Amino acid sequence: MAVANLLLRTIAENSMVVLLQGLQGEVTTVDLRNESTARGRVVNVDAFMNVRLEDVLYRDRRGKLTRLQDLFITGRNVRYVHIPDHMDIMKTIQSQLAKIHRVRNFASHGGGRKEYSKKK
Amino acid sequence: MSTDIFRKTYTNTVEEPLDLIRLSLDERIYVKMRNDRELRGRLHAYDQHLNMILGDVEETVTTVEIDEETYEELYKSTKRNIPMLFVRGDGVVLVAPPLRVG
Repeated sequence: MAVANLLLRTIAENSMVVLLQGLQGEVTTVDLRNESTARGRVVNVDAFMNVRLEDVLYRDRRGKLTRLQDLFITGRNVRYVHIPDHMDIMKTIQSQLAKIHRVRNFASHGGGRKEYSKKK
Repeated sequence: MSTDIFRKTYTNTVEEPLDLIRLSLDERIYVKMRNDRELRGRLHAYDQHLNMILGDVEETVTTVEIDEETYEELYKSTKRNIPMLFVRGDGVVLVAPPLRVG
């Protein structure tokens, strides 16, 4: 289980998905590949860009609106994610990476398996 | 598990195609996407999948309507502006400096 999490963290840390992971709690619009859009609060985004939204207003390609409590979007089906205006992108990415590195260092504290040697 | 493969190295020289995109950071670029879409915006960030963050984006969607009787092709384009957009890389076809028209 720990190995799976390490893999997911590493996949995330080496791509821009970390920014989307920093969007948790924000209300955003996700444009899907099938020309529909979903606007809701981001619950979680994983390393594969799978997105879970809550309190969603889903607009299909014809413009028909539907309210959904909970929506799971497969990463492959994402075309765009609108980033809220007030977000500081660099800061969000840096704090997400810091979280990942904190977990990594915590795991190696006390002589556990070192994932990489600390620079400096 | 080798950890060297996860270490990022930043070089100053252009060695691979992605390095050319690095030269366009903070510049306005033109992105051609699948499904007849084009984006023009400022490139803030990108990764190896070509996931990108674009600011001040104008998206152009081009559609072709065929007249039933004359079989004439009518090209229509719809534009919209988005202040900050995350683009998933698998939709990207090409990245270039903005096209100069005329």
